[in-house]
Amino acid sequence: MKRAILLGAGLFLVLAFCLGPYVWLLITSLRPPAEVAADPAALPAALSLESFRAVFSERPFFRIVGNSLLVAILSTALCLAAATAAAFALARLPVPGNRAVLALLLSVSMLPPVASVGPVYLAASALGLRDTAAALVMPYAALSLPLATWILHGFFRDLPADLHRAAKVDGCTPLQALRKVLLPPVAPGIAAAAILTFIFSWNEFLFALSLTSTDRSRTVPVEIALFAGVHEVPWGEIAAASVVATLPILLVVAALDRFLVRGLLAGSGKG
Amino acid sequence: MSRARFLESERRVGFLCLAPALLAVAAFSLAPLAIVLWLSLRRHMPVFGISRFVGLDNYAYLVSDPRFLSSLGNTAYVVLASVALELVLGLLVALLLDRSFSGRRIARAAVLVPWAFPTVVAASAWGFLLSPGFGVVNRVLGIDANWLGDPWLAIHAVILADVWKSTPLAALLLLAGLQVIPRDLGRAALVDGAGAAARFFRVTLPLLRPTILVVVLFRSLDAFRIFDVVYVLTGGGPANTTESVSLYAYRLYFQTLQFGTGSAVSIASCLVMAAWSAVMVGLLSTSRRGA
Amino acid sequence: MTARSERTRHAVAAVAVALASCAARDEPAAAPDTLPATIVFRHFPVFGGPEPLSRLLDEFRRENPGLIVEDRLLPASSDQQHQFYATQLEARSSDFDVFALDVVWVPEFARAGWLRDASDLVSEDDRRDFFDGPLLATTLGGKAYAVPWFMDGGLLYYRADLLEKHGLAVPDTLDDLARATRTVIEGERDPSLLGFLFQGRQYEGLVCSALEIVHSVPGGAFVADGRSAMTRPETIEGLCLLRRLVAEGTSPALVSSLDEEGSRLLFGSGRAVFLRNWPYAWSLFEADGSSVKGKVGIAPVPRAAGGRHVATLGGFALGVNRHSRNPEAAEKLVRFLASKESQKSLALAAGYEPTRRSLYDDPDLAEKQPFVARLKTILERAEPRPVTPYYPMIAQALQAELSAVVTGLRSPEVAARRAASQIDHVLSLEEP
Repeated sequence: MKRAILLGAGLFLVLAFCLGPYVWLLITSLRPPAEVAADPAALPAALSLESFRAVFSERPFFRIVGNSLLVAILSTALCLAAATAAAFALARLPVPGNRAVLALLLSVSMLPPVASVGPVYLAASALGLRDTAAALVMPYAALSLPLATWILHGFFRDLPADLHRAAKVDGCTPLQALRKVLLPPVAPGIAAAAILTFIFSWNEFLFALSLTSTDRSRTVPVEIALFAGVHEVPWGEIAAASVVATLPILLVVAALDRFLVRGLLAGSGKG
Repeated sequence: MSRARFLESERRVGFLCLAPALLAVAAFSLAPLAIVLWLSLRRHMPVFGISRFVGLDNYAYLVSDPRFLSSLGNTAYVVLASVALELVLGLLVALLLDRSFSGRRIARAAVLVPWAFPTVVAASAWGFLLSPGFGVVNRVLGIDANWLGDPWLAIHAVILADVWKSTPLAALLLLAGLQVIPRDLGRAALVDGAGAAARFFRVTLPLLRPTILVVVLFRSLDAFRIFDVVYVLTGGGPANTTESVSLYAYRLYFQTLQFGTGSAVSIASCLVMAAWSAVMVGLLSTSRRGA
Repeated sequence: MTARSERTRHAVAAVAVALASCAARDEPAAAPDTLPATIVFRHFPVFGGPEPLSRLLDEFRRENPGLIVEDRLLPASSDQQHQFYATQLEARSSDFDVFALDVVWVPEFARAGWLRDASDLVSEDDRRDFFDGPLLATTLGGKAYAVPWFMDGGLLYYRADLLEKHGLAVPDTLDDLARATRTVIEGERDPSLLGFLFQGRQYEGLVCSALEIVHSVPGGAFVADGRSAMTRPETIEGLCLLRRLVAEGTSPALVSSLDEEGSRLLFGSGRAVFLRNWPYAWSLFEADGSSVKGKVGIAPVPRAAGGRHVATLGGFALGVNRHSRNPEAAEKLVRFLASKESQKSLALAAGYEPTRRSLYDDPDLAEKQPFVARLKTILERAEPRPVTPYYPMIAQALQAELSAVVTGLRSPEVAARRAASQIDHVLSLEEP
């Protein structure tokens, strides 16, 4: 009983810490904009949906969210495909120098993004991909690749050797073994990697600013950055846009949550 | 199929599987890295039409550049403090969420909210919460701290915002790591008479070690490249006491248009990160052999 | 078909479709002679909403039927704009033709060869009509490279009701300011009341605030004659005055975290007696629901004893991209937007401060935007920050050292010496 209370309190603290700023943004988005301009931190005196209305009617926000969704989904799919394949190969197939490859992948995470923006912009220009969603998909997939590969590598590595052996005995080619036997147990890793890649692509700013110019390809973070005027900052609209922008992520997380469950390993052992 | 031929085809499949990842690395890491390396050996200032080879001059400048050294120090402090806090908090959160309780799904999604925010919005929100006049934090704590303007407090404000933003990442990875630890191990330990703490330290933690090291490795690399949070919260101030290496590089590139020196800063920070990663990876291999 | 290969197939198909559709939507890269001439105008969000500018552009489109004008936004953050322009112009992009740039960037961009010569865009008569400060700021080597579009000058806002209550005149010198602050705070017996707020955070706004104090000391300057003037005794005296504001409590320590909006919000909620800020804040103070409505007055920023009143020049100019494919059309747009009529319409609709003197005597403006009309004397005095292609580099050193002065991390003398050595290093970077 005491433990349950402790755990409950712990959970409450954690949630309060995590959600605090979000709650403030939510409240701010529901206040009349004039009030927000006068005092952004006060408790609301009145409620109003004006900020939301402004975000959707005065700006092409639906379009922007659509762009972000397209970019995030594509880059996540690409990244996961490449990362799963690479992690599988590094962990379970007799490829020489797998430690070196893992270290090499890490090098992507070491170059500060500010340094690669210039070259990537020039490349996108040369390929005629300026102001397109495609220009963002590839860099995002590549930037998330190291973490995804490392996560999945760990999961593949920790699988019992018998699984793979049994599949081989059954006559599976390596890829068939991967699909039928080895993927289910690493599902938590895939789910985690998918969530992280999606969020990264959704929120990335520096490349998006440099590679997009119109609402044809602009993504959510850049659009929110456009809300601020030279001096005034419309906190109501920013809050409303942020609240809306967070929803797809929460949906993705909720959808992938069931993979973050133990027991899948036990299931595959019976085969 | 003979064993040799089978192995051969496995190797071929392996190379094919690695190809996309390696191509991506070549295109988005090695190629820009080569360009940045080349730039770092030049004085390249488009404003003045200067573009010439200067060898290691830029690096020589950085070695005695107080601003670069101080940015390194600031960044190292942020990395150490943030990663340590995120690990501990992330572990606590992961353990909390590992249990079944009603509303667990919602709790998991809620815990991810900080990570789900665009960083600039999160940093701006914290800027407001910590602001001297309207700050909720000051009001709640009943103090009047100059969070963002005091040379000693500002860097801790940065750490706070970064920990808030990134703990979910650590928690998520640790939670996934916890999922594949079979419950039987825990139960076996229980039978042996071990208490909860002992179970955690002797059974769970060692099995989590690989995940922990992945978390530390990637979070520290991310933290080393910290940019958005510092840029929005303090702009590197006051008096450059919160300027990170990435921010310094950004200023050199995009504000003063000194592409050569900016590239040298980027390469220097890559070298530091490479050394750190080597240490971490060494630890990771050790843990594998042990487990 | 298992989940993974299905997903792979879908992904490949999706990528192919996406790339194909992107390629199809991409505009043809060149051949302006087969299409009507298109010019792209890049700018940050206009204060007061997009309508005034949209209407102006529509008028231009009507007057020029063969021309397509595309209006594209950039983030308001000065840094992000600078980064965007630097990335694109360094790559010789022709993606935009006309762009709005901060006055402090003009010499830098001109030197980099990114701006077309704008000397023909302003006629001799017009030249006399423009204020001196903006013209000076957009000239390099005797040639104009951009046309001043609208300007800003630093002001002192004060709580007229509090000054009246305690029988105080509007402060003229910094000593008056300190005395007035003390009197009001002691008189009001409100410990949370703040004194003089300015932008003390480490960013460009700090340079603007500090310049008004340092330049008000006769002989004080950051840069003079192509060399650092930081270690001049007059400049150091100005820095000491800046430090004293915080050290003596005239300004609260928290100014070191304030930018324009932060300081505006504090003053606008009645928490401070004095505020240094740009003219934009006025309409927010006078808006319905503001706690200080009707209680605010404006005056020049206080000066050092024996010195002159200084207002730092801010604002934006219009430039033409040197790599523009339609330079004549672009120049037409610039002439149109900087014309007297366009500036007047923006001033009337959005409260912009025009860069043309004659508009400040215009009866329509005096009637509809009386506040703007009152700014003439202050704007006449507006002084630019150092007009040099090296300004962004110099600003880096200035921002950090001024912040050190404001927070007391370094003494004014030490900060001045450090800034001087960095500035001189910058100015020596370019070999003959």
